[in-house]
Amino acid sequence: MPADAQPAPSLASIALTFAAITSTAFGGGQKASIRQQVLARGWMDHERFMDGLEIAQVLPGPNILNLAIYCGQRVRGIPGAIAAFLGTAIPPFLIVLAAGALYFKFASNPYVHGGLLGCAAGALGLTVGNALELTWDERTDWLRIVLVAVTALAVSFLRMPLLLVLVVFGGIGMVREYLRSRT
Amino acid sequence: MTVLHLIWTFAQLSVLGFGGGKGIIPQMHADAVDRYHWISSQQFTQFYTIGKLVPGPTTIFAALVGYAATPARPLLGAAAAALAMFVPSSAIMVAFDAFWERFQASPWRLIISRGLAPAIVGLVWSSVETIARGTPAGAVPYVVAAVVAFLMLRTKIGAPLLIVLAGAVGVVALR
Repeated sequence: MPADAQPAPSLASIALTFAAITSTAFGGGQKASIRQQVLARGWMDHERFMDGLEIAQVLPGPNILNLAIYCGQRVRGIPGAIAAFLGTAIPPFLIVLAAGALYFKFASNPYVHGGLLGCAAGALGLTVGNALELTWDERTDWLRIVLVAVTALAVSFLRMPLLLVLVVFGGIGMVREYLRSRT
Repeated sequence: MTVLHLIWTFAQLSVLGFGGGKGIIPQMHADAVDRYHWISSQQFTQFYTIGKLVPGPTTIFAALVGYAATPARPLLGAAAAALAMFVPSSAIMVAFDAFWERFQASPWRLIISRGLAPAIVGLVWSSVETIARGTPAGAVPYVVAAVVAFLMLRTKIGAPLLIVLAGAVGVVALR
């Protein structure tokens, strides 16, 4: 059934749909959950969803939050976008505050302290894995690998500010892509 | 005053958070630890870890930076930091709706996303260095990190479970 034939969902149902996803799903699973929910509810078709996913990934901000806002806006305009924002942002905010409260209360306990150091090592490992995975995706073009390395060195050793990194190294990358798109 | 600094700091990170926000970690550390001394490197790493552990976007850990930065009114700092982290990028996403039909067919879509990617990946490598600064040095943490990286790449075990398993090793070996 086309999305237009469905009555527009209430703002509460938009907020609650995304609240349910964001308070239970992690990482890549969240995008799949959003896709499944919006398609099942007839809010949009697969093609529209994929368009939104791409925009959500290009623009700044967490992919899942951008994607939720896109979906909310498609079905109910700006109020829908706000409902999606609140539904997506509030549960993680409350959960992270609860986790933080426990952290500040118990971090000095030696067992908890040891556990936290272990968790930190785990998070470091995830970041390494993420970096390796992303670098592997860049291997097709030598200039892209060089840009990865030069950016990392400029930030870690010269403490180059983020804005400058995006303008200079992001700029070089974009010029490269632009020239490739013309040939 | 701190609240205004929090808002200004995280609002900038928000609009520069390309690639899902993966690239902002080094700058966030530069601001929150080196510039404003809101938290230590070790706290930064632990807040980041909590961000990875809870559902939703990792960058929600901005709320914890805000919480720690304003001891007199921690909830105000947490809310200010979280809103500044998420509202600007969200507003861009909403505003973009007006351009989006044109952007759909535009080659700029790929030029921007593919063009920025190598810089973002470089920033993720710098994030490794940033997070390592708040991780205890020694054989155990580095072996744990290496094993977690391997399991993440080679198995389907989810990130939160990997962090919890690493924490269990820590309870035994890093006390």
